[in-house]
Amino acid sequence: MPPAQELRRKAVNFKKGFRLKLEPEEIKKLEAVVEKATDQFTVEVADKLRALRLALNDVANSQIGADQAMQAIRSISLEIKGMGGMFKYPLLTAFAKSLNDFTKDMGAPTPIQLDIIAAQIDALYVVMANRIQGSGSKVEMELLSALEEAARKYKHH
Amino acid sequence: MSEDMADHERIDFSKISFLVVEPNRLMGQMVRDVLQMLDVQYIDRARDFETAVNVLRMGRTDIMITEWALSQEKLGRNGMDIVHWVRNDGGSPNRMMPIVMMTANSEEEYVCRARDCGVSEFVAKPYTVNGFYTRLASAIARPRQFVRIGEYFGPDRRRRKVEYSGPERRIMAEAV
Repeated sequence: MPPAQELRRKAVNFKKGFRLKLEPEEIKKLEAVVEKATDQFTVEVADKLRALRLALNDVANSQIGADQAMQAIRSISLEIKGMGGMFKYPLLTAFAKSLNDFTKDMGAPTPIQLDIIAAQIDALYVVMANRIQGSGSKVEMELLSALEEAARKYKHH
Repeated sequence: MSEDMADHERIDFSKISFLVVEPNRLMGQMVRDVLQMLDVQYIDRARDFETAVNVLRMGRTDIMITEWALSQEKLGRNGMDIVHWVRNDGGSPNRMMPIVMMTANSEEEYVCRARDCGVSEFVAKPYTVNGFYTRLASAIARPRQFVRIGEYFGPDRRRRKVEYSGPERRIMAEAV
């Protein structure tokens, strides 16, 4: 079946608009849009981290709605994973990915799994509290590696 | 079209109407701001399946950008369900609409599932704006052929054109 051409006919031309490959100046302008939102990003992540702690608390205390709280942990960690790297916080993305991978398909967590989830959330707090942009230092990389190892070991225990 | 001509092609985004389905407020705002910088005039936004489908039914959307994971409150249906609806539902106003899946579900397993559901382009979060633009431009200016194979209806999932002289199994499969 030939491709639909309506949109192409409507918008693609040789006179007006943006080229298919952007000029470096145009890329910079678009990147500035993201940079401008960095303050909002830190506020947003702070809210998400608080929500993560509350959800963890609900799961730990086996309150009604623990399943929903686990779902919240998965959902919030996925959101943080998607945001961090955009705002120069790839380490935040890495820790959030670790948490999201660990909790994926997890039912009621065991005590040791709860400890690992708590440590992963603490790591997210550390990154934001210290404004650790980039990949972090050797210490943070080792922490990430240790958490990933623990997550691998206890994913199914 | 010659390569030289293709180099001079431009996209007039002011003529394109977008639907952005994104549950995260900040990420939705980022997409909207980037699109506005590109001179997009018409942007509808949704955070869940129901709202997205209601907007799509109006028939004014040219291209959809959707997250996979939608609002926590409405866990029943996600971005993949919207893609499925656009491609397969009798009520869909444009089954060949370009769809960009932009998601933090970025592992290969998800890319394959999205492709097999009929997305046109996949953008893994966190993304760079240039990477996003490249996918968007490709979806608009380089639309792919559509195919129906078994239950699949969507863009041709083969990226590269490879010379092949054997029997055309795709046609045979359709004839069965």
